[in-house]
Amino acid sequence: MARYDYVEKAVTVSRREFLGIMGVAGAVLWTGAYAATDLVQDRSKYIKMRAQGIYKDDVKAKVRQSHNNPGLQQMYSKFAGKPLSHLSEELFHTRYIDRTKLG
Amino acid sequence: MKGFQAQELNNIIEIDRKKCKGCDSCKAFCPTDAISGKYGAVHRVDSEKCIFCGQCLVNCPFGAIKDTVDTVDTVIEKLKNKQMTVVATIAPAVRVAIGEEFGMEPGTLVTEKLYGALKKVGFKILDTNFAADHTIMEEGSELIAKIRHYILGEPTEHHLGALPQFTSCCPGWVRYAELYYPGILPNLSSAKSPMMMAGPLAKTYGAKEIWHVNPEDMYVVAVMPCTGKKFEASRPEFASASEYWKHHGRTGHYPDVDTVLTTRDLARLFKKLNIDFNNVEPFTDADNPLAQYSGAGTIFGNTGGVMEAALRTAYYVITGKELEVLEYTPVRGLKGLKEASVTMKDAKTGKDITLKVAVVHGAKENLKPVVEAVLAGTSPYHFIEVMNCPGGCVNGGGQPINPMGTSWLGNWKAILPWS
Repeated sequence: MARYDYVEKAVTVSRREFLGIMGVAGAVLWTGAYAATDLVQDRSKYIKMRAQGIYKDDVKAKVRQSHNNPGLQQMYSKFAGKPLSHLSEELFHTRYIDRTKLG
Repeated sequence: MKGFQAQELNNIIEIDRKKCKGCDSCKAFCPTDAISGKYGAVHRVDSEKCIFCGQCLVNCPFGAIKDTVDTVDTVIEKLKNKQMTVVATIAPAVRVAIGEEFGMEPGTLVTEKLYGALKKVGFKILDTNFAADHTIMEEGSELIAKIRHYILGEPTEHHLGALPQFTSCCPGWVRYAELYYPGILPNLSSAKSPMMMAGPLAKTYGAKEIWHVNPEDMYVVAVMPCTGKKFEASRPEFASASEYWKHHGRTGHYPDVDTVLTTRDLARLFKKLNIDFNNVEPFTDADNPLAQYSGAGTIFGNTGGVMEAALRTAYYVITGKELEVLEYTPVRGLKGLKEASVTMKDAKTGKDITLKVAVVHGAKENLKPVVEAVLAGTSPYHFIEVMNCPGGCVNGGGQPINPMGTSWLGNWKAILPWS
């Protein structure tokens, strides 16, 4: 007897070790997923960066309200008169089209 | 093709059959479900449904979607023709994005460099920001006239549309309304978009008072962050300058805006003409009144910007005083629907006026309920800003293609959350 006797070496993981392994694996997965979603989110960060560039342009402007634009005031006094004047309506206003009725 | 007027461009966005992998990304960005094709099969754009916003184009991971209207060489030819006065009108969002095409970080403000490069290749400038200020004056006056008439019951001399008033600067939104919600059209502001104000202004006032040239010898090039603007400029009703001159003894029929270049197109033009954009001599064009603009004009490029600019002026017109704090934060940021209400004391009647406003961007997700509430008569607002693209024009379909999409590793600033 006993020539081919073979006892499989038992892999025993205690409850404590099991919790430890699962904890580490969970942490790794969680960090990875977090980093990945972060990267995807940051694909649109350029929108915020461009928006900030625009707000910077606003803050550094000497004049910050449309009605105080000196070139525009000059245009109205020399040319169009005032907003909604006859000439303004003719040049700067439009109408829209119901495209469902266009063939 | 259905739904187009004569002369209108009707095929601006196209999917390259060879490059399309059928991944469906474009469908996820299309506000009008104009893209068809099964997952895995080649997709195509239905131009009858398309509003030409170009969101699919800037978000295609394979670069398979293209803008079919390329007039860069035509513009170069016009610039070489010394008889022509070639005027560029540059939208607000272009100056914070064109740098990306020359290796700068997104959001770098390059107004002076851009002016310098434009001057070097022979453009005259009428800044679209000037026209944006102009739009605020026209559109804001219209809104105030409506409020005085409908809410305060005052008589009016104008032919007014309905309240709530929608903004009409975004060509994608205008086409969307015309195609899908024609019942809402009386609510759209009758004011033209800044680009379409810039065109006739250049060819009337600009020709007469600023550049002293014949309007027929002018060529207006609009540089826009937007593919939809190519469609808008081709609308046949936009020939107001030539109509104006017909009453003043001149002949000839020409469009108000001759052609539109996207931000990408302009960068290509500079490269073709060997302009070293990074080292070009800056130029402010300080003596040109049409290059003057206010901070309110420039913020048009952001979602909420038209609203904020309009509030700054409406507050002044109604109360007779300037706003103390100009930054109006409730309409800033990337929330899909932003609401606010502002109470102002009317200097004329002494009554309080409460203006309720809303800002919508990202038409795909956020637009429908707002429009349908207006049609149902349950909308609480007086003034509603709509921009089709998420984030507004800064993220338009004509902008440099996602500078962070293809090389995350090269852009640390884009990745690190604290930067």
